[in-house]
Amino acid sequence: MGKKELKVAFLLALRSLQRGGRSSVILTILIIGMCFTNMIFLPSLFNGIEQSITKQLVDYEVGNVLVSPKSGDQYVTDLDATLSLINGMPGVERATPHYTEGATFTYRKRVLGVSVRAIMPDDEKYVSPLYTKMIAGSYLGESDTGEIIIGKPVAGDPTIREEDEFQPSLGGVRVGDSVTVAYANGYTRDYRVKGIYSTGWSQADSAAYVSWTDMQQVIGQPLDKAHDITVKAKPGYSETFVKNELIQYGVADKVQTTGDLLSKVLGTAFQSFAIINMVSLIVSIIITTVVLFIVITIKTLNSRRQIGILKAIGVDKEVIMHNYGFQVIILAIFGIILGIIVTLLLAVYMSIHPVTTPAWSATLYLTPMDLLMNSLILFAAAIVAGYVPAYQVSREDIQTAMRA
Amino acid sequence: MIAIEDLRKIYRMGNVEVRALDGVTLDIEKGEFLGIMGPSGSGKTTLLHMLGLLDEPTSGRIVVDGIDVGILNDYERTMFRLYKLGYVFQDYALVPDLTVMENISVPAMLRKDRTEEQYRRDSHEILQKTGLWDRRDHLPRELSGGQQQRVSIARAIVNKPDILFADEPCANLDTENSRMVLDLFREINEEMKQTIVMVSHEDWHKDYFHRIIHLQDGKVVSDGKNGTKQS
Repeated sequence: MGKKELKVAFLLALRSLQRGGRSSVILTILIIGMCFTNMIFLPSLFNGIEQSITKQLVDYEVGNVLVSPKSGDQYVTDLDATLSLINGMPGVERATPHYTEGATFTYRKRVLGVSVRAIMPDDEKYVSPLYTKMIAGSYLGESDTGEIIIGKPVAGDPTIREEDEFQPSLGGVRVGDSVTVAYANGYTRDYRVKGIYSTGWSQADSAAYVSWTDMQQVIGQPLDKAHDITVKAKPGYSETFVKNELIQYGVADKVQTTGDLLSKVLGTAFQSFAIINMVSLIVSIIITTVVLFIVITIKTLNSRRQIGILKAIGVDKEVIMHNYGFQVIILAIFGIILGIIVTLLLAVYMSIHPVTTPAWSATLYLTPMDLLMNSLILFAAAIVAGYVPAYQVSREDIQTAMRA
Repeated sequence: MIAIEDLRKIYRMGNVEVRALDGVTLDIEKGEFLGIMGPSGSGKTTLLHMLGLLDEPTSGRIVVDGIDVGILNDYERTMFRLYKLGYVFQDYALVPDLTVMENISVPAMLRKDRTEEQYRRDSHEILQKTGLWDRRDHLPRELSGGQQQRVSIARAIVNKPDILFADEPCANLDTENSRMVLDLFREINEEMKQTIVMVSHEDWHKDYFHRIIHLQDGKVVSDGKNGTKQS
């Protein structure tokens, strides 16, 4: 195939699309565009959910690396020394401890069981964006005692009746209100609600936070132990690097990266997502291939006599085949462009209106590589779907084609 | 120019054998305007298709300009048609999505011995000659039957073929348009010394032919001006 042959094939393809059935061209582009959107939407949404869960886990539960008690132990002990050790390691931005006590909250006539998490508020700022999620009041101070911050679902909405609530709450606590907290160890005290936050992560939103200083009063002794320590890695340092450093430096407790934890906790769910993504991708490719195959087959069958005439006047079968090939390429390019536009519009829409559940909220997670890979896959499928019928019809003998 | 020896084409329809051509032997000289006539089913179009390399004979030999076309492969036959032959079909057979100019240019664009400038100039000349220059940007559906057939003729001769084949080119035209088309053929034949082989079933077309071959049941039954020479 020389340049001249390709030029003629392209001219025939272009004119066929420009001056042939416009509605069939538009519909075909629309179908390819929708197939592209279908191919990429579900995987992107699942990726978005994965990303969202991962980010929220990192932000509110485990950080980049989680240090938890050794097997058989209940606490990470010798906390001050452990924190000093970890905070001095290369690659560590900050390590911060968590200590959780079960408690019963009483507000007016409402009683609610809530986990109270003790944190070091200033250090926590390096590890978790909790302090940016205050929707009323303010975040905890390092030496606050008798003050508490609670999640929005715990505070509740005074306009919703108790029997209509999705999950139990205190029925409309506001900043400045007093809440009675009875801890599991029998200690009871009244707290002033300093702030109300909303993170979108259910486990954090269903809890309450007090300062480390306050928790020491609750348990009645210096608190040199924690249920876990979350470690934030410095930018440029991988979680695995930090984990290995911790182990090398002699941190005796269990050290796990977010990846380790995710593979244990959500590995099966993410594998299911991957299977659904693959099924969705294969179905979309099959639909696109079949649709384009039908479109081009109908086109070639309707043009058999014309194909015979072109061959009769000396147009080589390769030119005829590439004519239909170019038509498919042009249709696929416009279809993919339409698909990308629709997908990006959906991504913008969903960034404004994310998919929200009580446990997490998610948007479409798209990368240029996702768009490129899906475009290439669809493009390849389109070429196969177009060239097969074009190849078949271009090999038909002139007499048979002209008699069609 | 063309030598045909004992050409046969046999179709099988179930158990029945149909002899569309049954031992045709003849020569066609350069510059001739040859008419092939005969009743329906006599083998006129079959013979034209064999000569034009649009179909292959069951047996026999066709030699065009010293080349035995029977030994050419598919690609060589396509190139032979492109470089040496031109066709005018009964139903014009234009590409509906191409303008007049584009329809005419397609065969010329494919020739490796023509530059873009050359085929543009040739297309321009042919359109002027056939009186279609003003219609060059029109689509076939915007033209009358006579105009479409002139476009078909222009496309056939733009590559200056050695032989022009026409298969009942006036079958879909009224008398006035038929005469216009035949006058154009005569003009091309006389001015360009173009060899033309045309199938027709209209008696009045005989006036235009130098030589007429009559076929019946796949055999040449007469050959000469007005079919006078008996084979």
